[in-house]
Amino acid sequence: MFFRMIFGTLFRQWKKMLMIAFTIALGASLATAMLSVMLDVGDKVNQELKTYGANITVVPKENSVLSSLYEVEGEGGTGAFLREDELGKIKTIFWAFNIIDYAPFINASVTLDDGTKASAVGTWFNHHMELPTGEQLDAGVKSMRSWWEVIDGKWLDEQTGGENGAMVGKALAEKLGIKSGDTLHLNGTVSELTLDVVGVFDAGGEEDDKIFMPIDTAQSLDGLDGKIDSIEVSALTTPENDLAIKAAKDPKSLTIAQYETWYCTAYASSICYQIQEVITDSVAAPVRQVADSEGAILEKTQLLMTLITILSLVGAALGICNLVTASVMERSAEIGLMKAIGAQNSSVSGLVLTEIMVTAIFGGTAGFFAGWGFAQIIGHSVFGSAIAMRPVVIPLVAVLVVIVTLAGCIPAIRMLLRLSPCEVLHGR
Amino acid sequence: MNKRKMFLRMITASLIRRRSRMIVALLSVAIGAAILSGLVTIYIDVPRQMGAQFRNYGANMIFTPTDGQFTSDDITRGKSYIDSREIVGVTPYRYESVRIHELPVMAAGTDMEQAKLTSPYWSVEGEYPSGNGQILLGASLAEQFRLGIGDEVTVNYTPEDKDRAEGETVLDNTKDMTVVGILETGGPEEDYVYIPMTDLEELTGISGQIDIAELSVSAKSDKLKEYADKISANVPGVSARLVKRVTESESTVLTKLQALVLLVTVVVLALTMICVATTMTAVVTERRREIGLRKAIGASNGGIIAEFMGEGIMLGAIGGTIGVVLGFIFAQQVSINVFSSSISFMPLLIPITILVSVAVTGVSCLLPIRSATQVDPALVLKGE
Amino acid sequence: MSLLELKNIYKIYGDLHALDNVNLKVEKGEWLSIMGPSGSGKSTMMNIIGCMDKPSKGEVLLDGVDIAKESSKNLTAIRRDKIGLIFQQFHLVGYLTAIENVMLAQYYHSVPDEKEALEALDRVGLADRAKHLPSQLSGGEQQRVCVARALINYPEIILADEPTGNLDDANEKIVVDLFHKLHNEGTTLIVVTHDPEVAEVAQRTVYLRNGKLHKETINENFTGEIKFVSEVEL
Repeated sequence: MFFRMIFGTLFRQWKKMLMIAFTIALGASLATAMLSVMLDVGDKVNQELKTYGANITVVPKENSVLSSLYEVEGEGGTGAFLREDELGKIKTIFWAFNIIDYAPFINASVTLDDGTKASAVGTWFNHHMELPTGEQLDAGVKSMRSWWEVIDGKWLDEQTGGENGAMVGKALAEKLGIKSGDTLHLNGTVSELTLDVVGVFDAGGEEDDKIFMPIDTAQSLDGLDGKIDSIEVSALTTPENDLAIKAAKDPKSLTIAQYETWYCTAYASSICYQIQEVITDSVAAPVRQVADSEGAILEKTQLLMTLITILSLVGAALGICNLVTASVMERSAEIGLMKAIGAQNSSVSGLVLTEIMVTAIFGGTAGFFAGWGFAQIIGHSVFGSAIAMRPVVIPLVAVLVVIVTLAGCIPAIRMLLRLSPCEVLHGR
Repeated sequence: MNKRKMFLRMITASLIRRRSRMIVALLSVAIGAAILSGLVTIYIDVPRQMGAQFRNYGANMIFTPTDGQFTSDDITRGKSYIDSREIVGVTPYRYESVRIHELPVMAAGTDMEQAKLTSPYWSVEGEYPSGNGQILLGASLAEQFRLGIGDEVTVNYTPEDKDRAEGETVLDNTKDMTVVGILETGGPEEDYVYIPMTDLEELTGISGQIDIAELSVSAKSDKLKEYADKISANVPGVSARLVKRVTESESTVLTKLQALVLLVTVVVLALTMICVATTMTAVVTERRREIGLRKAIGASNGGIIAEFMGEGIMLGAIGGTIGVVLGFIFAQQVSINVFSSSISFMPLLIPITILVSVAVTGVSCLLPIRSATQVDPALVLKGE
Repeated sequence: MSLLELKNIYKIYGDLHALDNVNLKVEKGEWLSIMGPSGSGKSTMMNIIGCMDKPSKGEVLLDGVDIAKESSKNLTAIRRDKIGLIFQQFHLVGYLTAIENVMLAQYYHSVPDEKEALEALDRVGLADRAKHLPSQLSGGEQQRVCVARALINYPEIILADEPTGNLDDANEKIVVDLFHKLHNEGTTLIVVTHDPEVAEVAQRTVYLRNGKLHKETINENFTGEIKFVSEVEL
């Protein structure tokens, strides 16, 4: 009979129940959407912050002590290099998945036909890699120098044979009076080459005075085959905390448990440490300008989203509470009647609660999927990618819906229990 | 007593005497309004507040001399073209080659207080130089020279003397200085030694010269570009350039962030409004019997709609007003917690929020009332 | 001309003939009771007279106007101007005080006048309860507020649907006495009831059964002044 009554309410009063379910669904969808976005916003914003370029640089160990002042050393340097054949290993470290981009650099000093000296840089533009994991990656300056503006010509494309191409910085191009389509004859210390100028770029910095070319080309100019000066790495990192700072100074000072935590967290310092492990004789260091700012911005964004999420959760909770209270109170006549014909308080409350809970389950489920949709809309329209599903959202939303619905029922049920049947039936 | 007075009397009676129900409705309107005003305030204020965070990336504009060197007067003139409220910091730099332990080292003379502002990402072990004879040493130099905090070094400078005769020995200017901080940046700054400008001037014997000035300005990239063009054109000797890497990236990320907050605001608002609407619908629906009674004693449909709308609008106005206050408090709390600064108050938001609350409650009352007035009064009165 | 005249009224719901060829004339100043068991069509007839419903067929002449042909908007206006309603469940607006409930009728009719409303409450003996909310009044008092509300606009007809249905004996007497008073002041009263005691005090009682008028009695012992003699076509 209990169930029959519940089915009776659910199906015969479906309009009212639908309204409650609808409100619960709205609340649940809001909660789902906001929680999903909140939990994923860190990764998304992190990805966006990659436009600031590399947050880790890798240089040869010897060089890190005496590295470039003003980046004009050019000739010979100290003779320490990293090995080009080890580059692939960066994508094999523990946090390989967080390495989203990287590019090697080799500096060569060249002389132009008119005798002027210029610095040439060999690098990857859009280097295509097929990783042992089956993953594919296009890495290079095209994505790591997103602020470059190609003011003439286009980006050099390695895929369609750009070995003899070069991109020239705006300042140098103006000085030499060259534009895209021209050729440039370069004399290196070992060989000389004629390159096609594919594009002229405006970097708004010292790179405007340089010539960029594919890495093999630059290496052949100075006879430095297989050697690279530095690697810039763009990695998704977790904002630093005390542990990370302590570890960055000396990983050996950590206890085993701390070490595990540190090693298995995507701190810039642990990623650096892991890169040093795979690249022979290298020193990897976070670029403070980028790494610190990223940390600050990420933290603020996450906090902001958390607070907005809390606000919307409170809003959703009060909305649900309100409607549940209102709709239960509306049924005072019916409940008065039930009490008049002998229903115990407990059975009346049981009935009301079960009805509302059944409605809440349907509404909550529908709302969950709707909210999931909202989150995806937000993800796609703002970041152009899907919002990852965190399993933790499901229990959170479920608990929230149940608690809020129960809380909404309590004042209404208390009021119903105080009702005396005759009062209700005589319509006062 | 005229009709208008009675109208108001009825509405206030309904609002005051049906207290518990009205509080329910009022609460939902107020929350809706609070969410509206709070989120919109945050939405509008985010670029400003986040922009300040982005200043962590350091200088986004640099002044370079058009002919070798300029003075602080040139910088002040250039600076005057920028809205002073937007300037975070202006740091002059002067580079000189000095020698420490007889090895050539690049020394940068600067204003330490300003450097803190334009390069907030500098990680300094120890402290920034604050007095005479104190220096900040780049981390790789510190390692190279095996120098630590508190160590004393002698800095040598060989003055350039054009009149100096061939083979004549020139005495170095020297100054004993104390390392008070080690600078770590992960960038080229680690190879420099930073000396307060006055000390460098004392060491070199030349004052008033500046090689470059870094500016951190919290403005959007198009505005920055405008400033840079204006300064380059109007201030002789100063060429202002944007640090593209910082400005371009900042506008990309900020645009996305603002879009995110906007979208979130829209979604939250849409759902909140629907919540308010369902609550109002429930509130009106339970008064069908009263509507029937009013019809029975001679109210026209228009009259009933007017009364209920009057109530709804009053509810919207009161709820909206409470909401504006709550929303501002919320936005303020968010701002203080997230950005540690207070939010700018937008007076225009008050009427807008109240209007929107009134409109939403009005519309969400209108539909159920219209359907309620279609009901036959006889059926409603008998239907028990 | 009669104040109210029903001519060959039918009200048909599907197969059910709620009213089946009813003819009735009510004169100005008359006190009429309509009696009948549940389902006899009393309420339907009352709704039609009260301008809250329209007959399926037939004419309803109120002051010579056929209200069966009026739009529902006009019906509202006619009801407002000419009819005062009293219900079994009182139907007072719960959040308005007694006097405000009375003024509500004035408000819809013309202009609210607190003094006049207070006089109306005084006539039903509730002047001292004017500021009370319905929940603070007894059933009888509530019904008396309804009476005051019904008569405030000097309607042509006061139509009462089971006015004593929810009242105890003492309150019933008070309400019936009020009806006497109204009748003596010249108000036309139509009382729908199934309580013989209430019906019998009227000048005339018509009995409804299965939608038809099947009997009519004239109260010979009626104490009030009888001005008109109505005729009923059976």
